[in-house]
Amino acid sequence: MTVALETPMVSTAAVFEARDLAHRYGRRVAIEPVSFTVSAPAVAAVTGPNGSGKTTLLKIAAGLLRPGRGTCALAVAGRDVPPAERRRWVGYAGPAISFYEELSVAENLTFVAETRGLESPATLVAVALERVGLVSRAADRVAALSSGMVQRLRLAFALLHRPPVLLLDEPGSHLDDEGRAMLARLVERERRAGLVLIATNDEREWRLAEQRIELRGRGLGHPA
Amino acid sequence: MPSNGSSSGAAVWAILRKECRSEWRTRYGLNAALLFAITTLTSVSFAVGRLTDRVDLLSALLWVVLLFAALASMSHAFVREVEGHTLTLLRLVASPTAIALGKLLFNLVFLAVIESVAVPLYLVLMGAPPPRWGAFLALLGLGSVALACATTLVGAVIAQTRGRGALFAGVALPLLLPVLAASVSGMRSQWAGGPITAEARLLAAYAVALFGVSLLLYDHLWED
Repeated sequence: MTVALETPMVSTAAVFEARDLAHRYGRRVAIEPVSFTVSAPAVAAVTGPNGSGKTTLLKIAAGLLRPGRGTCALAVAGRDVPPAERRRWVGYAGPAISFYEELSVAENLTFVAETRGLESPATLVAVALERVGLVSRAADRVAALSSGMVQRLRLAFALLHRPPVLLLDEPGSHLDDEGRAMLARLVERERRAGLVLIATNDEREWRLAEQRIELRGRGLGHPA
Repeated sequence: MPSNGSSSGAAVWAILRKECRSEWRTRYGLNAALLFAITTLTSVSFAVGRLTDRVDLLSALLWVVLLFAALASMSHAFVREVEGHTLTLLRLVASPTAIALGKLLFNLVFLAVIESVAVPLYLVLMGAPPPRWGAFLALLGLGSVALACATTLVGAVIAQTRGRGALFAGVALPLLLPVLAASVSGMRSQWAGGPITAEARLLAAYAVALFGVSLLLYDHLWED
């Protein structure tokens, strides 16, 4: 299948600003207080030891989690985007995303496109699959995919609605060399107009970023 | 592209279609519900024969069969998303209200399918006297809507709790009892030639109240 790869991307300057952001799960400290500002166009890596709160930070940024303390504000084109509306502006790819195994790859993405109310779902799905190199597996059920292919599908899910903000949680996990090259190209393209946050400890991934947000936690969600 | 005007109507419709497709592929609840309805009616028919002159028993039996046939699947509409780890994906593409409305519509469709098989079988096997079709179908419809509203609401509330099986019974019982009482009473009355207005009004009011409460609650259900 041949599809146009250069889909228009709306230039909507996005800014993430965290102020004294902290979070706990019960007694466990998930994120030590952290403050940062990242403005598009930019790629920022969120790094820190296991359990220091990288995934939690991205979930808060995506509006999936309410911060225990402090703020994590997102503004797009100068307008503040409350957490409940972030799904429209943010593309999220992380281990927390699973797909419907009884549906095919294309059916999963078409469902997402239709639920988001996107126009021309079939075209958008084809473009997203082309970008992550999954076109040949479009008709396969998700249950039949390898973990590397599921990771590519997560990236396609994040890209589908062409959001100005991409939140990628360990995006290279399970990817082969070709997959990592695809990821580098993808991040490079999004860097031009968008904002990309990558949560990772993998040098190959944080080297894609020009900014680094180092979480200071002692890791492993230490008790208070 | 900043995701479009992700209209709630499109999201509800997409979720309903996804639910139908998933159910059709997996037969997660349909086969079990039909098996329960058919075996129960057959067993009772063998044990007690035709109940033509016992409209009180006929009325109770109809709703007991419908309730238990549909309950297991309907109450699991959200649990399946939690256990399949797909709830995060859903939350990233649709509002909680759209998700819940999609599930509610699916539960209504599911109930209608079960009824389309179980009710004719019940009328034949139990030797039920010819119903007043208008009253019979009105009670069946209103009872089904109230039942679906109650189970969808409880299913959504308990989906992310521990021990949700025990919780469901405890939380659902007080919500389902008025539905069952009014449905059974109304059904008995329509066979006895009496009015069903009071029961129909009660069921309609109860369904509207449950629906209204649901709309108020759904947006706050999955805030962490």
